[in-house]
Amino acid sequence: MEELGYISQWTVKLFGLNLVFNCETLFMSWLVMALLIVFGFLAIRKISIIPSPLKVIAELFVDTFYNLTKDALDEEMAPRYFPLICTLFMFLFSCNMLGIIPGLAEPTKDLNTTLGLGIMGFFIAHYSGIKAKGLKRYIAGYFEPIFFMAPLNLIGELAKVVSISFRLYGNIMGGAIIILVVSNLLYSFIIPPFLYVFFGMFIGLIQAFVFTMLTLVYISVQVK
Amino acid sequence: MSFDLGGYISGAAYLGAGISIGFGAIGAALGMGYTAGFADRAISDRPDRSGDIFKNMLIGQAMTETAAIFALVVAILLLFLKFGTDNMLTPYALLGAGICMGFGALGSGLGSGFPSAYACQGMARQPAVTSRLTTDMLIGAAVCQTPAIFALVVSFILIFAIPQGVSFSPYWAALLGAGFSTGLAGIGSGIGGGMAGGASCEGIARQPDSGRAATITMLLGQAVAQTPAIFGLLVSFVLLFGSYPPAEDIIMPISLLSAGICMGLGGIGPGIGNGLTAKEAVSWVSRNIYEAGLITRTMLIAQAVSQSTAIYSLVVALVLIFVI
Repeated sequence: MEELGYISQWTVKLFGLNLVFNCETLFMSWLVMALLIVFGFLAIRKISIIPSPLKVIAELFVDTFYNLTKDALDEEMAPRYFPLICTLFMFLFSCNMLGIIPGLAEPTKDLNTTLGLGIMGFFIAHYSGIKAKGLKRYIAGYFEPIFFMAPLNLIGELAKVVSISFRLYGNIMGGAIIILVVSNLLYSFIIPPFLYVFFGMFIGLIQAFVFTMLTLVYISVQVK
Repeated sequence: MSFDLGGYISGAAYLGAGISIGFGAIGAALGMGYTAGFADRAISDRPDRSGDIFKNMLIGQAMTETAAIFALVVAILLLFLKFGTDNMLTPYALLGAGICMGFGALGSGLGSGFPSAYACQGMARQPAVTSRLTTDMLIGAAVCQTPAIFALVVSFILIFAIPQGVSFSPYWAALLGAGFSTGLAGIGSGIGGGMAGGASCEGIARQPDSGRAATITMLLGQAVAQTPAIFGLLVSFVLLFGSYPPAEDIIMPISLLSAGICMGLGGIGPGIGNGLTAKEAVSWVSRNIYEAGLITRTMLIAQAVSQSTAIYSLVVALVLIFVI
C-alpha cells in the first residue's frame, strides 16, 4: 500500500531555488504529446481519395469538435478556438487512456497537470472576454446584479478553476486508487481488467469530454 | 488505568462498518425501486417491448447498485482487516471512513436511479431509440457515481494511510472532519446529477433528434452540479494532508471538525438546486433544440449563482481551518 499517493520527484537546487519535478507526470505528458504528434503526421501523410484509417479517425475528431465549437460560439469565432478545444480533448483522452497500459500512468492523476490546464482555460476565457467585450464592459460584468456582489463573483470565477481541475483529478486519481487497492486485496486475480475498462476507458472518456466542454462553455459565457 | 486501545479500534471499525453499509444501502435501494416501478409502468404500456425494458431495468439497477457496492467494500474492509494497535488515531480514522462512504453512497445511489427509470419509460414511448437510451442512461448514471468515487477515495486514504507519529489532539478531529466533508457534500451532488440524467433520457425519448444536444447539456449540468462534492473533496484533502501544531485545548480540534461538517452540510442544498436547474434545462433543450446554446449558457450562469451558498461554506470551512 506504499504506492498510495506516492509521487516520484526529482529535486534540483538552482540558484538557491528548490525546483521540484514530478518525473512520472512529466515523462508521461511528453509521451502523450509525442504520440499525438506522430498521430498527426501519420494521419496527413498520404492524401488520397480513399482516406487511410488514421485519417478517418482524425477527421472524426475534427468534425465532431468543429461542430461543437460552432454550436457554442459563433460561426466566425469557431475557427479561432476550435484547434484549442480539439487538441485539449485529444490530449486529455490519450492521458486518461494511458493508465490502461501496464507500467504507464495517467498524467492527469497528478493535480499539477489538471490545475495547469484549468488555469490555462481560465486565462484564455478571460482574455477572450476582454477582447470581445472591451475592458470596461468586462469589469462591469463583475458588478452585476448589484455592486457589492463583486467579491463573490470574483470568488465564483476562481472556484470554477478549482472545480474543473479537481473534477478531472478526483475521478482519475480515484480510479487509480480504487484499482490499486482492489488489486492488492485480490492479488490481481479477477476484477482489475473490468475496473480498468470502467475507470480508464469509460470514466476517462467522459471526464475528458466534460473538461473540454466546460472550457469551451466558459469561453462562450465570457465572449457573449 | 487500563486503557484498551485494541478494543476501541475494533469497536470503531465495527461502528464504521455499520454506518457505511447502513446509510449506503438507503440511496441505492430507493433508486432501484424507482427504476423497477417505472419499468413496470413501461411494460404495461408496451408489453411487446418487455424484453428490452426488462434488460434495461437490470442494467440500470446494476449501475445504481455501484454506490452500495462501494459501501459494502468499505464495510467488509473495516470488518475483516487487521489494524495495528499502536496508533491512537486509528479509531477516528476508521469511524471517519465509515461515515464518509455511508453518506457519500446515499446521493449517488438515489441519483443514478433517475436515468435508469426514465430510460425504461422512454423505451415504451419511443422504441426506436432503445439502444441510444441505454447508452445515455449508462453515461448519466456513471457521471452520477462521481461523489461516491470521491467518498471511496477518502475512505481508502483514511483506512490505509493513517498518519503516524503525529500529536493526537487536533488530528483526530481532522480525520473525522475529512470523512464528514466528502460524505455529506456528496449527497446533494449525487441526487442533483441524477435529476439531470433522468431529464436527458426523457428528452431523448420525447424528441430523438435532440439526442446529442440533450446528452451534452446533461453532462455540463451534471458536472456543475458536482461542484459542491468537489469542494467537499478539497476540504477533506486539506484536512487530511495539512499539518497542525499540537493542540492543548479543545478549540483547534473542534474548529477542524466543524470545518468538515460545515462544508458537508453546506454542499447538500447547492447540489440538489443545481440538479433541479440542470433537469429543467435539459428537458427544455430537448423540446427546443434550436436554442440549446442560449439555454445552456443561462443554465450555467444560474447554477453559478445558486452555487454561491456552497462557496460561502467553502470560505467558512477554510477560515475555520486556517485562521482560527
